[in-house]
Amino acid sequence: MRHLFAILILLWRAERTALLRGAALSIIVLVMGLALLGLSGWFISAAGLAGLLGLGATFDIFRPSAGVRFLAIGRTAARYGERLLTHDATLRALAALRIRLMQALAGQGWERLGRLRGSEMLNRLGADVDALDGAVLRLAIPAVAAGVTLSLALVVMALLSTPLLALASIGSFTMGGILALIWVTARARKPSRRAGRAVQALRVRMIDLLRAKADLAVMGRLAAARDGVLAASARLYAARAASDTVEHRASAGLGATSTIAATIALLMGAVMARAGLISAPQAALGFFVMLAMAETLAPLRRGLTELGAMLDAASRVDHLLQDVAEVRHPTQVAQPDPMAPALELSNLCYRYPGAAAPVIDGLDLRLQPGDAVALTGRSGSGKSTVLHLAAGLITPEGGGVRLAGQPLTSWPETALRDHVGLLPQRSTLMRTTIAEALRLGAPDAPEADLRAVLEAVQLTTAITARGGLCAQLGEAGAGLSGGESRRLALARLLLRRPSLLLLDEPTEGLDEATAAKVWAGLRGFLPRATILAATHRLPPASSLWRIVTMEEKVAEAKHQFDSHQRI
Amino acid sequence: MPGTPPGMGRPNQRNGAAMTGTARASQQTDPAARHLREITASGAAELRRAQAMWLLPPLLWIGQAAVVAAVFAALLQDMPALIWLFAMAGFFLLIGLARVALESRATERLAGIARRLVRQMRDDLITREAARAPHDPARPDSAALAVLMAEKLDHLVPHVTRYRPAMVRVMVVPLTILALAFWHSWAVGLVLLVSGPLIPVFQVLVGLAARDASARQMAELGTLNTALLDRLRALVDIRLLGATDRMVAGFHDRAEALRASTMAVLRVAFLSSAVLELFAALGVAMVAVYVGFSLLELINFGYWRTPLTVGEGIFLLLLAPAFFEPMRELAAAWHDKAAALAVADEHRALQARPLRAFPGSGGAVARLAGAATVRTVGLMVDHGTPLRFADITLAPGASLAITGPSGSGKTTLLALLAGLSAPDAGQIEVAGQRLDDATADAWRARLAWVPQGVHFLSGSLRHNLAPGASAAMLADALSRARAGEVVARLPRGLDTRLGELGAGVSGGEARRLMLARAIHAAPDVLIADEPTADLDPETAQDVTEQLLALSARGVTLIVATHDMRLAARMDQRLELAAPGGAL
Repeated sequence: MRHLFAILILLWRAERTALLRGAALSIIVLVMGLALLGLSGWFISAAGLAGLLGLGATFDIFRPSAGVRFLAIGRTAARYGERLLTHDATLRALAALRIRLMQALAGQGWERLGRLRGSEMLNRLGADVDALDGAVLRLAIPAVAAGVTLSLALVVMALLSTPLLALASIGSFTMGGILALIWVTARARKPSRRAGRAVQALRVRMIDLLRAKADLAVMGRLAAARDGVLAASARLYAARAASDTVEHRASAGLGATSTIAATIALLMGAVMARAGLISAPQAALGFFVMLAMAETLAPLRRGLTELGAMLDAASRVDHLLQDVAEVRHPTQVAQPDPMAPALELSNLCYRYPGAAAPVIDGLDLRLQPGDAVALTGRSGSGKSTVLHLAAGLITPEGGGVRLAGQPLTSWPETALRDHVGLLPQRSTLMRTTIAEALRLGAPDAPEADLRAVLEAVQLTTAITARGGLCAQLGEAGAGLSGGESRRLALARLLLRRPSLLLLDEPTEGLDEATAAKVWAGLRGFLPRATILAATHRLPPASSLWRIVTMEEKVAEAKHQFDSHQRI
Repeated sequence: MPGTPPGMGRPNQRNGAAMTGTARASQQTDPAARHLREITASGAAELRRAQAMWLLPPLLWIGQAAVVAAVFAALLQDMPALIWLFAMAGFFLLIGLARVALESRATERLAGIARRLVRQMRDDLITREAARAPHDPARPDSAALAVLMAEKLDHLVPHVTRYRPAMVRVMVVPLTILALAFWHSWAVGLVLLVSGPLIPVFQVLVGLAARDASARQMAELGTLNTALLDRLRALVDIRLLGATDRMVAGFHDRAEALRASTMAVLRVAFLSSAVLELFAALGVAMVAVYVGFSLLELINFGYWRTPLTVGEGIFLLLLAPAFFEPMRELAAAWHDKAAALAVADEHRALQARPLRAFPGSGGAVARLAGAATVRTVGLMVDHGTPLRFADITLAPGASLAITGPSGSGKTTLLALLAGLSAPDAGQIEVAGQRLDDATADAWRARLAWVPQGVHFLSGSLRHNLAPGASAAMLADALSRARAGEVVARLPRGLDTRLGELGAGVSGGEARRLMLARAIHAAPDVLIADEPTADLDPETAQDVTEQLLALSARGVTLIVATHDMRLAARMDQRLELAAPGGAL
């Protein structure tokens, strides 16, 4: 509930004026609806009475009939305006919420960012935010409108008939309605939450079954996987049945409440009119108003049956909004010193979360501007981790990282990304043209640069064969081979011309000859950049590259540590 | 109070039959509509009963209206007995509660029918698609299928619970009320008769506009989602390239475009319901004004023999909104039909796809007995162009490389040998028995499979490798596949949850994990699809050595590959020709 309130307040702040107007209009719609039926009932019975008494000629027929027409047309217009206004405002507020979520997602810790599943995030931005539109349109606004209308109706009816009649009929209706709604709130949450989880399980299990079918079949797990999907389907069915039952009972409860309240109005009105306390047209007015009363609470019922799903969505969305992680806002902004070492790692220690032994323990490494260093070592020795530490993706447990003489922590995010270019071990391309893919990090790069960088990574032939810079890539960059997508990702990084290049296995998947040309090409494209590359194999022109082997560094550090211990 | 005029039912039925007749004619031209009818045909009798029950509540309202009219007529004309008033209020309450109960019961039944229908369709789809051979070229896109099952099928629910019942009410209730109106006053009947049919005319006009707008909006939504998923998957890269703000700005523009097109659809929808409400409100207001004037005797026409009484006036006024109500319900449910048709069409297209069945059940069974020999005779598979494969004979412990250009059927042949798909001609003999439905499960129990594209199941790494296996049980396989260090590096070891494409491990590491899984299965035959593709030479060499080590232990190897260095290390080689070349 707390999260839902937080989201509601957020949406309310985003579109305060429009939502306020929308709420006012929806009150007008409800009030006009009550007035229309009440006036019609009164008018017919009053006219009937006048006719019976032979007072037809003196009865003022024009004002009530004009009122009926005005209310009929006015209510329609108000309804149209209210719907347009509230929907537009809600959609606007939700679009703003989506943008904030997107920013929050993009600003998450790198570790989590790499592990999130695309389809799950799509759910958060799509389905979860969609579920929240009901919170405004079918919960907050109808609740406010119903509350105000019921209180207004109570006062007006007390004035037009008698307070007793108004209190008995509207009071009983309100009490019954509130009880029914409380009941829904209590009962609807669990099944709709269960349904949400079952849908999720169904989708994930079905995709697993289809994508890994051959593996599952050979392992003898296919039948079990299919039964797992069927079990999720059965759970979804049961959850839907339970929430349908709640909805039907609540509907029946509200229906019975309004029937009882109308009966009370009919009986009390008739008895009072018979006793001469009020006139028969006044009794008719009370009864007809009660008939229209059902419309005040009906929209809330649907909103409340969605409450479980809304609460779930709100808590996920709110959590995501709240842990907008470590966006760098250092107090003093770094002034890079061109003469200082481009990268300086001193006594660096890092331990994977939860791991017993550190993967990097006491690493020292210094790169002067323009240096090219190949970081080698068997896989698992922490090469990638060194690059991630240098790029500020993860925070070291001990020791420090300095870039161009300034501690890493004093670099703001934007300046850091412009200064340091990291090619991670896996990169993802998108459904764009080759040119758009290249310009992702450098939107203003001229076409000559694009061609030069493709030449540097030995992609000119491959790209020309596919139709040149305008060739369209498929979903996640489909259409290029593994080695080609890797080089395209390298090209798009080179195009940003970072001062410090951190490359993680830039030539993985390439044959010897191409790899050699790529090494030379990237140096040729960025002759002055400082390069630190983690790689299994050594660049061919080894004279230009300094080789640092991880095992030695770590072994050395461990050795020193051991000897310190002994002393 | 006059009762229901005799013979009321007959014109309704005629009219109803005429409407379903025209509906049928239009449905025959539309395959989606025909499919929708076929889908709902299974529970047709039950559906008809529930719809009949759904008809009763608005008819009961006529009774309640009659009671109310009687009460007010009595109050205005003379002094009714107190006991009579209580009795009438009791009637009103009883009919009202019966109405609520019937309505609730009918909704419950309709919802039950819809739920069962959706579940049946979902379960049929699951069973059908699970029984499809994994490499069937006609297999549907997995994400699209998952969305259809988990979300879109639910769009059929409002079609059953709202649209169809609303159709039934619209055919019966307005005509009943119209007949009652004419019975009392031809003027009131005329007002309803004129304003009623105008509503569908406007609905059709507005509906046409709405269809275009909603098609545009659906297209917008589709591209937004695809673009969004693409960007979300590449979020790390986008941030590393300093493109976050630009990406968010681009997304903002798209989201704004979607909002605008959604509002265009909603505007039309709201306009159409406003038009409907306007007509309904004007109709009711005209009835009220006519009744008022004639009660005041300012109007002297519109009735049959005697002028309208107060009771009749109130009765007609209460019925007028009920005349329009079913049409409002139908208008509100109108887009339910379009949504249901779209889903039915997708479901129809899915059912129309040819299905290449998967041999066996895919369950865990005892291994097939006998020496693990493989012999094929005259294999042919027709995926559009027929692929013919040369005969293969493999002794236990043999190793075979299948090479050839892309599209020559390497993966298809592997799938045939693994019993994952049945050939269109020829036969396969494994361990001296024919590979068919009866033996496929037992044969696969002797195999291990290393796929080309890795898909990690959602769940822990352990769940992917061998559910329930302890670290000690897996240690040997992991170390032989050189994957021990991969696991040691993961934050939670075997209990780490990997992303679907293996985020958290590199491509080479994922391949080694798959190899460890295969080794742990202690197979007699190992089938690997491009085990060294996209690996750097060192890792490729590692993987090759591990495969040969298995071969040295007596495991039969069948490998499809482009990698000539790997192919050269196998004892046998089968070169497949480019598609069509073997003819």
